[in-house]
Amino acid sequence: MNIERIQRDSPSTAKRRFRLGYDKTTGLLLISPWLVGFFLFKLLPILASFGLSFTNFYLLEPGQTRFVGLENYARLLEDEAVGFLIVATISTAISTIPLQLVASTLLAALLSSPRLKARTALRTLFFLPSIIPGVAILFMWFGFTDPNIGWLNRFILRPLGLTGFNDLYSDAAYALLIAINSLWAIGPGMLIMLAAMQSVSSEIQEAARVDGAGPLLRFFRITLPLITPAIFFALVINLIAVFGGVILLDRGSTFRGGASPFDSYITYWIFERWQLGYAASLAWLFFALVMVVIVILFTTSRRWVYYPDRGD
Amino acid sequence: MQTHSTPPKAVVPHTYISLRRWELLGTALFNLLIFTLLIAYLFPILYIISTAFMESAQLRDRNAPPYPARQVRFEYEGKERMIYNVPYAEGQRQLALVAPGRTSSEFVDPQNPEAGLIQWEGNWRILVGVYEFHWTWENFNLLFRSLRLPQMLKNTLLLAFITEIGVLLSSIVVAYGFARFPLPGGNFLFYLMIATILIPENVTLIPTYYIFVRVLHWDGSWLPLVVPFFFGNAVYIFLLRQNFRSIPKEMDEAAMLDGAGPIRTLVSVILPQSWPVVITVSLLHFFYMWNETRQAALYLSTRRDLIPISFGIQNFQSLSPVINQLEASALLIMIVPVLVLLLSQRHFMRNLVITGAER
Repeated sequence: MNIERIQRDSPSTAKRRFRLGYDKTTGLLLISPWLVGFFLFKLLPILASFGLSFTNFYLLEPGQTRFVGLENYARLLEDEAVGFLIVATISTAISTIPLQLVASTLLAALLSSPRLKARTALRTLFFLPSIIPGVAILFMWFGFTDPNIGWLNRFILRPLGLTGFNDLYSDAAYALLIAINSLWAIGPGMLIMLAAMQSVSSEIQEAARVDGAGPLLRFFRITLPLITPAIFFALVINLIAVFGGVILLDRGSTFRGGASPFDSYITYWIFERWQLGYAASLAWLFFALVMVVIVILFTTSRRWVYYPDRGD
Repeated sequence: MQTHSTPPKAVVPHTYISLRRWELLGTALFNLLIFTLLIAYLFPILYIISTAFMESAQLRDRNAPPYPARQVRFEYEGKERMIYNVPYAEGQRQLALVAPGRTSSEFVDPQNPEAGLIQWEGNWRILVGVYEFHWTWENFNLLFRSLRLPQMLKNTLLLAFITEIGVLLSSIVVAYGFARFPLPGGNFLFYLMIATILIPENVTLIPTYYIFVRVLHWDGSWLPLVVPFFFGNAVYIFLLRQNFRSIPKEMDEAAMLDGAGPIRTLVSVILPQSWPVVITVSLLHFFYMWNETRQAALYLSTRRDLIPISFGIQNFQSLSPVINQLEASALLIMIVPVLVLLLSQRHFMRNLVITGAER
């Protein structure tokens, strides 16, 4: 009896028994809420959208729907707005993302300095604009940039001798506003960088300091290369925001109707023209564009992102 | 100590002290720099707060100061007179305007009204007024009068509460599955989940909207806003999974050996050690729901009694944008998330930094 008991509880049996608890079926069951949600709210709609893009589906006459082949895609090529919007989306990305990355890296570096007083409070206050709702931000810019009484003209541009922000809706002014506004969404990126900087080994820093490397040299030669994974992560996050995805808050819905100009154009075809077939082909073009950018990003990341050997 | 008098040793403490001084000075300057940067960064918030308490008259006045203020008045002969800075050869005087004129105006000295009217040559419109600090609740009162704010607030809180339960329950279970269990295809499903964050909403919007509205007839109800959250959220699952993985596996193995099932292990071993990240995620979700207007605009435009507060205020202000009312609305919308962040800052910031750490 005794021997039997010992055998039953021996490590190998125990191991086998606990392995039974960690099987793939239980794993699948546990992640099934997400899996079901993925099929219902992501995969099926994406496929349905793809199917829809080959039809002339018009919301007011659903009965007239028929297969039109590549007609919608041919129309895309002739639609002058499409090329313009692709360029606009890319230029938004170019004018905001590098700015956001530099600002969040710099801010994280400054806020991780041991010389700083009240570090947590300062981090919170710099993070604060990232949780202000999009509606409030829209209202703020509307007043702040008012040509006559807004503070931008009265207290920043005019005292600096600049002519002023007379037309909020001119393209240049709008681009500038988008760039400035993007600085108010760097919170998550900044926190990721902060975390990465904290995990940079202080021994390496100390060794470099002993060898006579100044703070700038140490930042560019040690910290920066070691936090490239965090920079890459922040880059992806900012890119998603430009393309209308959501990480922290959905800021896009209030800013000129969509997160990106392309976004608003698709919304326009859905809710103002009700031509869902054409809107679906637009959405799919946009989707393809996003995927191409993401794939390019991930394939080139190996060249500049530092991947340490991970134990697990 | 005896060597104190020898010259080289005497120099050493001296340089040491001055170095320390330099360091202190550097630290002070550095802190000042960050503080200045912070003020510049939050400058627009100052604008919101200040403008929200202004009267409309101040908005039309180009000479008005940036803080809520109004022109100082003086009662003379039964009427309120505005006080201006009036330049004279001998210096500026603060006088109340009695009879404005294009080439010459008549003033009275508030300090000495008995002295009678004082003449001043020039166009009164170029004069700059004298202002005093003066603020008003009127912009907020107007919002409270025009909108059913308590009801909208109740809607937002209720929506946040329901989705909070759904998204936390599902995300915790899924994150546990991803953190501890082998899955078919290895990490493929996890990467697939991360990839879903990258899908632009517009690609899924058309079929989803059509099914919700035309097939299920869910428009005019909270269902389209609430139901998707019961299937987890990829960002939250990611954050939770990272945290669950940092808990030593031996702990839940021990529980499993004692015969606890997976859910039991999750509840009695994993969760008690994960409250910080669970609270962080629930705060993130609260910020998200408070900000939400897009789904409300899609599905709740026909039901005024069900709309959340951000959407209600946005909708109201799109009718007639008056800047001081806009800023009062902005302040009203942002005050709750800002307060929640400030009150939870120690906890929230630390955990977000830690959970973001390993990717």
